[in-house]
Amino acid sequence: MSEKIVISPTSRQEGHAELVMDVDDEGIVTKGRYFSITPVRGLEKIVTGKVPETAPVIVQRICGVCPIPHTLASVEAIDDSLGIEIPKAARQLRELTLAAHVVNSHAIHHFLIATDFVPENLMATAINSVSEIRKTVQYVVDMVAGEGIHPSDVRIGGMASNISELARKRLYARTKALIPKIDAHVDLIVGLVADKDLPAGLGVTHAPTLATDHTYGDRTNFDLDRFTEIMPETWYDDPEVGKRACSTIPLYDGRNVEVGPRARAAVFGSYTGEGVVAQHVARAMEMKTNISKIVDLLAELDTSAPVMADYDITGTNKLGIGAIEGPRGMDVHMAQIADGKTQFYSCLVPTTWNIPTMGPATEGFHHDFGPHVIRAYDPCLSCATHVIVVDDEDKSVLKNEMVRI
Amino acid sequence: MVLGTYKQITLGRSTDKQIQGISQDGGIVTALLTFALDEKIIDGAVVAGPSDEMWKPNPVVALSSDEVMAAAGTKYTISPNNWVLKQAVRQYGLEKVGIVTIPCQTMGIRKMQSYPFGVRFLADKIALDIGICCTENFPFESLKTFISAKAGVDFDLVEKMDIGKGKFWIKTQDDLISFPIKETHGYEQNGCKVCLDLVSELSDISTGSIGAPDNWSAIQVRTDIGETVFKQAVDAGAIELKPIDEGKFGLEMLTKLAKSKKEKAMKVIDERKAMGLPVPYKGSSEKEDPLANV
Repeated sequence: MSEKIVISPTSRQEGHAELVMDVDDEGIVTKGRYFSITPVRGLEKIVTGKVPETAPVIVQRICGVCPIPHTLASVEAIDDSLGIEIPKAARQLRELTLAAHVVNSHAIHHFLIATDFVPENLMATAINSVSEIRKTVQYVVDMVAGEGIHPSDVRIGGMASNISELARKRLYARTKALIPKIDAHVDLIVGLVADKDLPAGLGVTHAPTLATDHTYGDRTNFDLDRFTEIMPETWYDDPEVGKRACSTIPLYDGRNVEVGPRARAAVFGSYTGEGVVAQHVARAMEMKTNISKIVDLLAELDTSAPVMADYDITGTNKLGIGAIEGPRGMDVHMAQIADGKTQFYSCLVPTTWNIPTMGPATEGFHHDFGPHVIRAYDPCLSCATHVIVVDDEDKSVLKNEMVRI
Repeated sequence: MVLGTYKQITLGRSTDKQIQGISQDGGIVTALLTFALDEKIIDGAVVAGPSDEMWKPNPVVALSSDEVMAAAGTKYTISPNNWVLKQAVRQYGLEKVGIVTIPCQTMGIRKMQSYPFGVRFLADKIALDIGICCTENFPFESLKTFISAKAGVDFDLVEKMDIGKGKFWIKTQDDLISFPIKETHGYEQNGCKVCLDLVSELSDISTGSIGAPDNWSAIQVRTDIGETVFKQAVDAGAIELKPIDEGKFGLEMLTKLAKSKKEKAMKVIDERKAMGLPVPYKGSSEKEDPLANV
């Protein structure tokens, strides 16, 4: 006798999604389906036909959780389309911005999962630790990228300005002092996740992992020819779900994949862990990698070096690709610039890749673990939504006009 | 109270001969900022620095007393200092910023601190706001026009400009030319016509030449922060003081001019309101004290 468990909306994540699980008599999930029910943003259409400089400014508003990866992916895509080689210092500043943002975003995720893992007596310690880390790394973004939330200084062709020597030294001292705090924080979180004693194999899907780089992102490792996209009606076996799902299903080599910290660790760090615990461990470890990277970059940065390339905005209609390894995974933006205007724009965002993988990941265990599995992916759905509800009566999503290539 | 609230009003001048030589009157702004920088009360200051064009100021972030000195002296045209505040706390990485402002900019700073929209982690980093007296301000082209056309002086030859004794003074290598300040009316910015503030009522410390003899400045110490910094600077001997003359050429004149600026502006405000134009102030019938800077 099969029963259906529906969690709607799934909590402690960004955006709205629904988890529909078929369970057997023991409550074990036999079929999991996870899908976005967040309203569409439509930003790709907004930027089309406008001057290229509009795109990074608009698309960073796709969501308040990872505006930085979207800004960077956008400028990288346009740089690629226009054939711009950015100066070394600009690249360093961009890498700094992203590394600081990744630490910040992972810290926020630890706050979101705190009630799952942190016992009452350690709650204050964990939250203070999150706050302190965020304060310092957001300060880095503030100074390097101009604004902590919607970075104003990340520009096509490089960065608006270099930082002063005073700022570099100040950031270096602060971020270096943060290393022991991050080490302690990571030990705390990894220890608490282990203490929870989640069943072995929870969340293991054996879906292929996809990542372009260990930290920043590398467009040469993303092969557009291997990418296909299908509509949710074809993917989900439940027609009711297929009709209401608001995101398309991206496939790589015809398969659904996993992106994110664990995928990066698996592709570039020979990390073999799989499942919920491995995802948490990989995510926490990335905080260490990124803070060391920040300190190294600040040590190397030449604050008198130029940060803006000369370029021609006209464009040749080349399809530019920007691949950024955001906190939740690979964020790819594609842009075509011709006649000084954006002719085509598309975002392939991290959680979109994970959505088809997250549902099946709940299978084989009790449905009580479902939310744990979902949260381990740190889903963020706002930007993942690419199709629109066309019938308000039955909430159906009939046609995708947004991201067809 | 036409001079705003203040804790202390006094005359003062910088004791530093170098500052005296380059600054406008008593050199108070330069003296206070260099002192605050040297004592690490602030870690940088936004000042109206030099630009490529003579007499056209460019707001700059000064990190040393030398850079503050390079910006000494009044420029009678607009320097959008508040505009670079963000740069000061972002790319320059300052955490205790000093700034020099004219009254309208002071109001902007206080508004920014009360409602920090779009100035995240900025408003709380303003450590010291030194306000300067301002009767009116001229767009750069206006200034150029009345100096070359009205006073007949080649703009490039001007060594110093000053307002005092009811006149606008232009000093060149050979001449000292003046014309009544009244004749500059019509050249000022439109916004100055509705401005109710002569003495930067909302600053931490305000200073200007009105009510002070030559080479001295009248100073109003207004806030706790201002008082602390000012006292330290005086104790350290950076600034020497003498009591302000209560009479006709001292406090009385300052009060009179502040009042007349307010009265003139209120007239324009009321006129504009009557025409239904937007004015960022209350009309005289809408407030208790018709001369209040609200």
